[in-house]
Amino acid sequence: MKVTRVPRSNRFHTWRTIVKDWDLYLLLVPGLLFLFLLKYTPMYGLIIAFQDFSIFKGIGGSAWVGLKHFERLVVNEQFFNVLTNTLLISSYKLMFLFPAPIIVAILLNEIRKMMFKRIVQSVIYLPHFISWVIISGLFVNLLSLNDGIVNTILAKLGAERIAFFMDQNVFRGLLVLTEGWKEIGWGTIIYLAAIAAIDPQLYEAAKMDGANKLQQMIHVTLPSIFSTIVLMLILRLGNMLEAGTEQILVMYNPVVYDVSDVIGTYVYRVGIGASDYSFSTAVGMFESIVAFTLVVSGNALCKKFLGRSIW
Amino acid sequence: MELARNSDQKQRQRKKNNVIKDSIGERIFNILNYCFFIILGFATLFPFLNVIAKSFSSEAAVVSGIVTFFPIDFQIGTYELVLGNKQFLNSFRITIIVTIIGTLGSLFMTVLAAYPLSKPNLKFRKPLLLIYVFTMLFNGGIIPTYLVMRELSMVNTVWALFVPGLINVFYMLIVKNFFEAIPDSLEESAKLDGASNMRILFNIILPLSKPVLATVGLFYAVLLWNSYFNAMIYITSSDLKTLQLYLKELIASTQEVMTIAGQIDVNRDLNQAPEAVRAASIVTATVPILLVYPFLQKHFVKGVLVGSVKG
Repeated sequence: MKVTRVPRSNRFHTWRTIVKDWDLYLLLVPGLLFLFLLKYTPMYGLIIAFQDFSIFKGIGGSAWVGLKHFERLVVNEQFFNVLTNTLLISSYKLMFLFPAPIIVAILLNEIRKMMFKRIVQSVIYLPHFISWVIISGLFVNLLSLNDGIVNTILAKLGAERIAFFMDQNVFRGLLVLTEGWKEIGWGTIIYLAAIAAIDPQLYEAAKMDGANKLQQMIHVTLPSIFSTIVLMLILRLGNMLEAGTEQILVMYNPVVYDVSDVIGTYVYRVGIGASDYSFSTAVGMFESIVAFTLVVSGNALCKKFLGRSIW
Repeated sequence: MELARNSDQKQRQRKKNNVIKDSIGERIFNILNYCFFIILGFATLFPFLNVIAKSFSSEAAVVSGIVTFFPIDFQIGTYELVLGNKQFLNSFRITIIVTIIGTLGSLFMTVLAAYPLSKPNLKFRKPLLLIYVFTMLFNGGIIPTYLVMRELSMVNTVWALFVPGLINVFYMLIVKNFFEAIPDSLEESAKLDGASNMRILFNIILPLSKPVLATVGLFYAVLLWNSYFNAMIYITSSDLKTLQLYLKELIASTQEVMTIAGQIDVNRDLNQAPEAVRAASIVTATVPILLVYPFLQKHFVKGVLVGSVKG
């Protein structure tokens, strides 16, 4: 079917399309209004990082102070500690929790009894849906100094009881452990899908060449899911400054602030708690900008070298 | 013919080889692998089993820290206490209301946003999508968002508990992808009959989209049920305290030394260990998630994989 069109100016054409489907464009309004009010207005609100913002004077009435709050941030020893904590906790989580789902997925793929596999999946996906508040409760319950079964066992073995939630030496480990408990199982989904997409002939060929299970995993499975791994790694790296704010906010307490106060928790306490709006916004803005830069550049690299990208 | 038989023979030979190989190292590997997953599954379930056992155990047993899998000195007084606690019931009620209203509101807003964006011919489709996706990569952070919510007079109202999350861009993209996959021919014929875009959306598209609406609806419901962050930031009145926030305070209060005076006193009067009451509260708050989990698991896995396809 060929429609002959009278050539007309582009703008007129655009306008006509919109008028013709006016109700379609109307549907866009609520969503855009939501984005404008709750996403883009706060972005505009970031300018209070360059003011001495007072809630009574508003953005229009507050004095501009340039980079004062960012200078404060650089010399602030507490911020330095917070940044160190953030990077350390994030790195631990990256080191232990990034490879874990890959390994679990590869091993799970070797399970041949479908019934068993399905039950395992049902069980290990479950914690993903449990809130941090509940998880914190579960582990307080397990690890409590006097009533927790873990300390009872430690005591029976003759070891010293450990106040896991109050001990600066183990608290970061506890953060990694609980996040692992919550997310490792769920993290396998994406890798299991990638593994399922591998051509079975590759395994056949590897077997023909005499490769055993381990060799097949290393030389067939891993290379085949490599681009998925890199993609997930980039997403993860983009979140390096988000060390688990929601998790830490429910699990920490003043005794372990020194080792577990991260950017997100710090912004919350200084901003909402102490109402130092401008300074905490500057801290938050620092995090947002770094995260944005990391993800965008990571994605660009990925596109260039792997031909795959997040968007 | 000759060739076919040859390759047939080869295949049989290959199978034979596999069987031989299977019987040596692989059998050990398989046994270890099954053991690994049994341990992993056990480690995932144990925190739940332990908290359930504690919630049904007597004070003496809980305090002595000997409860593991099964309740010791079975009692249900703790549950009577939890379900008779006014604040707990009120928080439960608020959370149910917020979850229902929030899920419906979110689904409505998400569908409205996704439908026009699923039209390949929509003018300004690319920039509109970018406006959405950009909010996934960059945000104003908690303080500017808090200030906007204050300006909108939503602080300390029930609105604060679901409005900030009305549209989740990731879920919106999942719905959009689903709409895109619906054959155009259905819409074309309706259009020829003079149906408006709105009618097409509500009478043709939505009935076909029940699976994705169920999936995304569950996504939203779990997010709303589990979230405590909005309540913590925007809510100070105890009338609007959500279940997760209530539990967070309860857990913090019984964590080792700190106590909320009233709470513990009530428990003492009834001869219950605060730990057992806490355990019962945790179990009660987790039951709704466990009830929907079978549906969740089925839909979520699909959702994650759909979402991993480019938006």
